[in-house]
Amino acid sequence: MQLDNLRMWFQVGGTLFRKPIPVKAVDDVSFAIRRGETISVVGESGSGKTTLGRTVLRLLEPTDGRLLYAGMDITHAWQRDLMWLRRKAGIIPQDPYSSVNPTFPIFRILEEPLSVQKLGTRREHAERIYRALDNVKLTPPDFFAQKYPHQLSGGQRQRVAVARAMILEPEFIVADEPVSMLDASVRISILKLLRQLQQGFRISFLYITHDLATARHFSDRVGIMYAGKLVELGPVGSLLAEPLHPYTQALMEAIPDPDPENRLKERAALPGEPPTLTSPPPGCRFHPRCPIAKAGLCDVEEPEFRELRPGHLVACHLAA
Amino acid sequence: MAILEVQNLRYWYRTRRGAVKAVDDVSFSVDSGKTLALVGESGCGKTSTAAAILRLLPRNVDTYEGRVLLDGQDIMQYGNEEFRQRVRWRGISMVFQGAMNALSPTTRCGYQVAEPLIVHYGTEKEEAIAATKEALKSVGLPEYVAYRYPHELSGGMKQRVVTAMALIMKPRMVILDEPTSALDVMTQANIINLLKRLQKETGLAYLFITHDLGLASELADDVAIMYAGRIVEIGSSTKVYPTPQHPYTQKLIQSVPLLRKEEAPDFIPGAPPDLTNVPLGCRFHPRCPYAFEPCGWTSSEVAAILGHEALAFEAADVHLANVDRYDAKDPTQLVAYPAKGTTASSLAASLQELVASRRSMTPFLRAIEGIQARDGRVVIRLHQGRMPELAGEDDQRAACWLLQQEAITPAAAT
Repeated sequence: MQLDNLRMWFQVGGTLFRKPIPVKAVDDVSFAIRRGETISVVGESGSGKTTLGRTVLRLLEPTDGRLLYAGMDITHAWQRDLMWLRRKAGIIPQDPYSSVNPTFPIFRILEEPLSVQKLGTRREHAERIYRALDNVKLTPPDFFAQKYPHQLSGGQRQRVAVARAMILEPEFIVADEPVSMLDASVRISILKLLRQLQQGFRISFLYITHDLATARHFSDRVGIMYAGKLVELGPVGSLLAEPLHPYTQALMEAIPDPDPENRLKERAALPGEPPTLTSPPPGCRFHPRCPIAKAGLCDVEEPEFRELRPGHLVACHLAA
Repeated sequence: MAILEVQNLRYWYRTRRGAVKAVDDVSFSVDSGKTLALVGESGCGKTSTAAAILRLLPRNVDTYEGRVLLDGQDIMQYGNEEFRQRVRWRGISMVFQGAMNALSPTTRCGYQVAEPLIVHYGTEKEEAIAATKEALKSVGLPEYVAYRYPHELSGGMKQRVVTAMALIMKPRMVILDEPTSALDVMTQANIINLLKRLQKETGLAYLFITHDLGLASELADDVAIMYAGRIVEIGSSTKVYPTPQHPYTQKLIQSVPLLRKEEAPDFIPGAPPDLTNVPLGCRFHPRCPYAFEPCGWTSSEVAAILGHEALAFEAADVHLANVDRYDAKDPTQLVAYPAKGTTASSLAASLQELVASRRSMTPFLRAIEGIQARDGRVVIRLHQGRMPELAGEDDQRAACWLLQQEAITPAAAT
């Protein structure tokens, strides 16, 4: 999957007499996801990370830029021509409860993608469904297949969502905050499961999250998003060992690791709030909150996305 | 000085499936100007503990007992009206989970902040406005927020508004129930800084409820780990974080993904128990990697262990010839039937010999309290899975049999 200068702008507030205002949810984002790797996109709410995930899957049509899947240009392809993409790319939603039909048993929830794609006979469906449930450790599968979503715990429901994303044996999965609604321990169990499945089936993951700590442990590369822009991208190790963008540094500073020493000091936190996406600040979008912003440079000129270390890119004038 | 002292608090509520033991014999105290963090998975009774302290009870209360002392006064003795006037908001206020989303959308924030003042004191308008502005200032909000509606504010600002609301009556203590769980990390850090500052300036005490041990360490002077309605470990955070004693605490700490260290997090298999039907003995034992007999093994588990041990026993053939079958219907005792041609007393003797010879190798056999021949069968009495009590030094106590081995009566094979 390759993204070239991808833009997703929404038009809001347009009436007969008023021009609509563009919301620049995703603006000029480029990166490529390799086979079998997990790339995390980390950002605060409203940074455009969910929109990015939906655009990548062509659930939304990009405003500008190019979107390539295995070399095929899918930027503006028709939905009916994208049935093959739906088979190869899946999504794990944030809230597994509101994304399934509560009146369907698990079996039917998992069968739906198979029927839509017209794959196999009913018996083959059952086989695949049981295998998928087994893969996500919902055993015995025939027991869980009969259950309804409300009869399962949050963690089990999220496993069903994983099974549903996996049922078509995709190559690529977008996981949009798949664990943010779960307990700490259940969270880790789901993420470990995803990692296992990925290694077993060589799936690529786009893991969208606001939690840098889980991104560290469950991905290969991390991208940091701020106000619709990718500000930093690099291998997990080097990005966290040496965050180059001031926003990444601030983000890391804001996250506590358990340590009783924490209570003795205040945490350095950025003042203010992320900008609105209808009128982002000129120049670097982070400059109004940036502790090192230089007047005349950062508030005028938009920084380029430069490769400062091998594989480690950053959009900041002052990073070196 | 302890500002809040909770002693043996018990708060169960009735459902069709039986009593939910949401808070079961919980004791702790919070000193003035200090923070106690109450940590545990969801469904462990953290929020119920807060509700029980503030007597915010639903109609289906089953049991509500214990002592809650606020400044040395037993507030459980207060009548409902007295409780409302003297405790809620004034003595202890609370920032509820998701409170920022419970602000009334049609009322200006200022009025909502001032409401406790007007309702409790009947404060005059001018005075209430002044107090509201002061409260908003103390949480770092500009005055104009008082004239805004909640939808005009960001999540972080709304959270500050509900914090201001909790502070306006100048309480001695605030219960914070997941005050930042819906916020972004940056906003979260700002709110936590605010809470630290307020505590330093005014000597407020906090009861901080969270499932996030990392976040808890930001405020906690003391930590109480809750599991299935009980506190399993409590102590000073400088002790509990580096040297957790209870296996649950250890597991919980291991499950936190660390940003600054390579150590991969691990999860706790299984889920917390259904609080209408808690496991006998230690409530954590079904998920505990170190569980041994006093933790609450049942007769069927012991039967399996005995069957396995018999094979390793020197006199295995004699013994195996003696046993016909085990009956594990009663979870608290196991019944063995002698094979044809032997008597109950010789079976009892061979079982005693088996247990005595294997006990040092297999500590699990300590689950057996006694073996007796009775009415042609052998009754193997098991240690009742007993609930461990908190024990240890003052600054760190844990409720786990592993740590209290000497307290367990050695199994006498008589």
